[in-house]
Amino acid sequence: MNAADWRHNARVALAAFDVTLRMNAPDAFVLFTILVQPLAIAVLAMFMLVARGAANALFVVVGSGMTGLWSALLFMGGNSINWERWTGTLELMVGQPTPISVIIFGKNLAIVVLSMLSMVGSYIFAALVFHQSLAIQQPLLFVMSLGFTVIAYVTFGLVIAPVFLLSRTVQQFQNAMEFPIYMLCGFLFPIALLPGWTTPFSYILAPYWAARALHGTTTGAATLSEVVLCWGMMMALAAAYLFLSHWLTRIVLHKARADASLRLE
Amino acid sequence: MNPIEVEHLRREFKTHIGVIRRKAKTVVAVDDISFAVSPGELFGLLGPNGAGKTTTVKMLTTLLIPSGGTARVLGHDVDRDPEPIRKRIGFIFGGERGLYWRLSGIDNLRYFASLYHVEPAVARKRIAYLLELVGLGDRGKEKVEGYSRGMMQRLHIARTLLHDPEVLFLDEPTIGLDPVGARELRHVVRDLQAERKTILLTTHYMFEADALCQRVAVINKGRIIAMDTPQALKGHVSDLSVVEVEVFGLPPDVLERVRGMPFVDTVSLENLDSRQWMRVQTRRGAEAVPDLMAAMSGLRVGRVVVREPTLEDAYVRLVGGEA
Amino acid sequence: MRALAINVRLFMEGALLSYVALFSWLQPVAYLASKVFMPLVQILFWTMLGTFATGRANASFFIIGNAVQLAAVNGIYGVTMSVGGDRWAGTLPYLFGTPANRLAMFSGRAFMHVIDGMLTVVMGLAWGVLLLGLDFSQANLVGLALAILITTFSTSGLGLLLGCVGLVSIETMFINNTAYVGLLIFSGANIPLAALPGWMQSISWALPLTRGIAASRALIDGASLGSVLPLLGGEVLLGAVYVLLGYSLFRWVERQAKRSGKLEGF
Ligand SMILES: Nc1ncnc2c1ncn2[C@@H]1O[C@H](COP(=O)(O)OP(=O)(O)OP(=O)(O)O)[C@@H](O)[C@H]1O
Ligand SMILES: [Mg+2]
Repeated sequence: MNAADWRHNARVALAAFDVTLRMNAPDAFVLFTILVQPLAIAVLAMFMLVARGAANALFVVVGSGMTGLWSALLFMGGNSINWERWTGTLELMVGQPTPISVIIFGKNLAIVVLSMLSMVGSYIFAALVFHQSLAIQQPLLFVMSLGFTVIAYVTFGLVIAPVFLLSRTVQQFQNAMEFPIYMLCGFLFPIALLPGWTTPFSYILAPYWAARALHGTTTGAATLSEVVLCWGMMMALAAAYLFLSHWLTRIVLHKARADASLRLE
Repeated sequence: MNPIEVEHLRREFKTHIGVIRRKAKTVVAVDDISFAVSPGELFGLLGPNGAGKTTTVKMLTTLLIPSGGTARVLGHDVDRDPEPIRKRIGFIFGGERGLYWRLSGIDNLRYFASLYHVEPAVARKRIAYLLELVGLGDRGKEKVEGYSRGMMQRLHIARTLLHDPEVLFLDEPTIGLDPVGARELRHVVRDLQAERKTILLTTHYMFEADALCQRVAVINKGRIIAMDTPQALKGHVSDLSVVEVEVFGLPPDVLERVRGMPFVDTVSLENLDSRQWMRVQTRRGAEAVPDLMAAMSGLRVGRVVVREPTLEDAYVRLVGGEA
Repeated sequence: MRALAINVRLFMEGALLSYVALFSWLQPVAYLASKVFMPLVQILFWTMLGTFATGRANASFFIIGNAVQLAAVNGIYGVTMSVGGDRWAGTLPYLFGTPANRLAMFSGRAFMHVIDGMLTVVMGLAWGVLLLGLDFSQANLVGLALAILITTFSTSGLGLLLGCVGLVSIETMFINNTAYVGLLIFSGANIPLAALPGWMQSISWALPLTRGIAASRALIDGASLGSVLPLLGGEVLLGAVYVLLGYSLFRWVERQAKRSGKLEGF
């Protein structure tokens, strides 16, 4: 890609970002996914973890916020190509000159940024209702980790969307895919509780490293080198996801053009 | 080099019939068609429902991979090299789908302008101009969900012109438009042609093809059965006249009897509320009327008109009275 | 006698209808995903969070709580879908037009979901025994079966009410989802009721599931049926109250619709 292409693609991603925000902001399903459910999880976890002492409030805020991020990405990002097909715009998306991944990138970015509200919501709730002191121990590292988290999630979403378009079978498991990721990524309890054979799965999930960095920097338990390791893993995985999604999207769209499934009849 | 070149193009669909014992069935939608459209030409694809027009357009717009043959648009193969084509073509498929209903008309256009790499400053002027052009100047700020079908169709037309494409594919562009809207749209198409755009248009309406197209291909059951200028196609039926008979309750056996008469070329039937229009193409002109009346004796017959053939009659003859 | 026969027929028709709806909703893969895999991951997550918080010894508290909570999946989503389904299929005006006893038809609709919901709970408990070492050696199986039946009935009662709310509101799914996570907080599936503030406990006792979960825990622990009878009796009553509320709301919607003449709007 040359400079002009980069500029065009950035502009398209921004346009997709803008359009996605405006189309989804008033939606009740979105409201539920990014606010109601994470808040409910926060309430549950707050009551449940009381037994382990008050130091867990921030842990719950971060963890429940991460569940909101994942659920939003799963349902909205995962369906982003499918959604174009339902609205009848997928043909237009395929027939226009910008790579469709650029569009999905912009959409996912909007979803992930919007879902940051999950964490904000849980934070306000914990502060107001549970009167917990919620001081982030390493604020600078935390904010930087949030930046990496956005990249990690957005690129992860790029992989899911073509998979859901490719396979109806996988898509039927969409509802059942919320909790496994909550568990594998250690959002609300450490993955050490899981059987050892699941650990490699956690390691290839960028949200796991995101949760580890965010948890570590809020509680101050993580050393700088550990945080940097998490960032490095997020970037490496993001690169791998980009590569994988590029390949998958090509296959999936080629298949759709071959078997005439761009449009639902 | 012609902007559109099609050689032995073919496309099949595999479908399944039956719910329990599913049987695979292959439909040949486009069956070995070849044609070329020269620069600045307005070329029409004409054919009855299911003829394969949309399938052809989808292959040419890189949305569907051909099962056989080749198609090149602006010199690039539609299957192997779709990217350069997509930048330089515009397309619409008739109907209201394919817009973002939760966004306003302007926002839809803005979004597509950015997808097509139109610079924002250029896009602003272009959107205002196009909204005027399609008659949506004062409704652009409203959400598309409140638009009528015709308004959505107009918005599609504006959308496809955003990036000033060199080649346009218009699949039934006037579908869903009221007569005034359809006439305005034909003006737009004529203006585009005056700008030397290459246009491929599909339609059911003969007069539309007659009024607009320089050349027309008649397609039926996936095959091109005639390709010529509208004038020349009319020439196919210049030796015929058309007798139109308004009749009330035509029994099938009478229709068959008329079809079987030696001087009758083709018969087509248009069903209206309580009556039918039977159109008979014949070499005998007005002299055929007494024989026809005799064949229909006992039936209530309304008006009888004898006239010169139109492109529509040529088309009816070509597809064998099915339209 | 004739009235009874008509009602029985309506009941069966309702049951058949929602069974068919259920069946199309549950193609094999979808069935596997929503009826086998979903219960598993839900129970796993909450049980692990629970044992992380309070120790391994409490695992059975969370397993049983979340398994019985699954009754609400059918009770809420299944039942609201077959009540609200009318709106999508456009048969509601036709339904309003029949003089038949609507209560019979209503219960018929919920009936298949009660059966299916019981299966889901059993599936959840089975996962608990197979994967999480849930101890069933002391369990009072007959009592437990009764407890599961009653709990599924009462959550279906809530489902009927929500389904009728769905008839007048467009955000059916939002209401259902919120009700489901609300139950998760209030039912005692994951938080011991005693840990909730007093006002929240009052809400808990006014909702289905709470008593059913408590009774199920006791029965798996070996309690006698007699000792949980007050809990189960309360759950039945509560379920009946919700069914009646749902039914009254349905009648109200029907009257409003007829008065405004806008049946199609629903
Ligand atoms: N996705 C598909 N799967 C299976 N069959 C298809 C598909 N798309 C088109 N067909 C079949 O291919 C044939 C040609 O369809 P096509 O849409 O190209 O016709 P058309 O000329 O555009 O008709 P119309 O005037 O009704 O728009 C029809 O028999 C149609 O049923
Ligand atoms: Mg067509």
